[in-house]
Amino acid sequence: MTTKTPPCWMEHLLLLALARRHRETVTGDLLEEYREEQVPRHGRLRANLWYLRQVADIAVIRLFGGSPMKYVLAILASTTLVAGGWLGIMELLLQHPGYFARTVTACCIIAQAGGTLFYLRAQGQRVLRAVLAFGGTALAALGLVSIHRVLHAAHFEGFVLIIGVALILQCIVTLAVLFGAHRSSGLHHA
Amino acid sequence: MSELLGVFEQAVLLAVLKLADEAYGRSILRGVQTGLDREVAAGAVYATLDRLEQKGLIASRLEEGTAVRGGRARRFYTITALGVRSLHESKAALKQMWRGAKLPAEAHA
Repeated sequence: MTTKTPPCWMEHLLLLALARRHRETVTGDLLEEYREEQVPRHGRLRANLWYLRQVADIAVIRLFGGSPMKYVLAILASTTLVAGGWLGIMELLLQHPGYFARTVTACCIIAQAGGTLFYLRAQGQRVLRAVLAFGGTALAALGLVSIHRVLHAAHFEGFVLIIGVALILQCIVTLAVLFGAHRSSGLHHA
Repeated sequence: MSELLGVFEQAVLLAVLKLADEAYGRSILRGVQTGLDREVAAGAVYATLDRLEQKGLIASRLEEGTAVRGGRARRFYTITALGVRSLHESKAALKQMWRGAKLPAEAHA
C-alpha cells in the first residue's frame, strides 16, 4: 500500500461535484482504490488519470444524469443563451428599423435556453417539457427561415447563420432528450 | 408487482447481496465490475446506489474509516426485503420472457 494521494486540485474538483452526503465516503472510497490498486498496479501517472476520469464521470452524472445528450444540450442552450442575450442588447442599443420584433425574438431565445438549462437540473416537469418542445420547434422553424433569408440576402450576416444553425440543433437535441428520457433505464448510468 | 429493475440496477443489487456485511462503495464497485466483466465508472455505481436507496431497495449506515482512506467514513449498504423481492421479480420476468425462445446458433466471423 502507498500513502500517496491524488493531486489536490482533483480532490477539490471531486468535492465540488459531490453532494454533501457523499463527500466523505466517496472521496474515501476513491482514495482507498487509488492507494491500494491503481498506484501499485499502474503507477502514479495512470492512477492520476484514472482518478480524474472518476471525477469527470461523477460530475457529468451529477449535472446531467449521465446522459451525453444532455451534456450536448447544455452546451447548445448555453450558446443560444449568450447569443440571444448579445442579440437583444445590440438590437436595443442600435435600434435599427424592426428592432422591437428582433428584441422579442431574442427574449424568446433566452427564455427557451434558460428553460432548457433549468429543465436539465430540475427534470420531470411535464408542463415545462411541453413548453420546451413547442418553443424549441417554433425557434427551429425561425432558425430555418433566418438561414434561408441570410443565404439569399445582399449582405451576408454570419451571426444570423450561426444562431439559426444553433437553434435547429438545439431543437433536435431538446426533442431527443425530452422524449428519449422516458425510455431510459438503469443501464444508461453505466 | 413493482417496477422491474434495469440490468445495471440488478448488477449493483446483486453485488450488495453477495458482499453482505462488506458492501461499501469501493467493494460494490469491484463487485459490479466482476459481475458485468467490464470496467465501470464509480459515478455510475454511486448514482445507482442513491436511486436504489430512494426506492427503498437498499439501506445504508455510516461507519468509521480506516487509515488507507485517510480516516474517511465508509457507507455500508444492505439489501432490504423490498430489494430482495425486486430481484426475485426481475429474475422471474427474465425467465418468463425467455420461455419458449430458441436462439439460432451464434455466427462466427
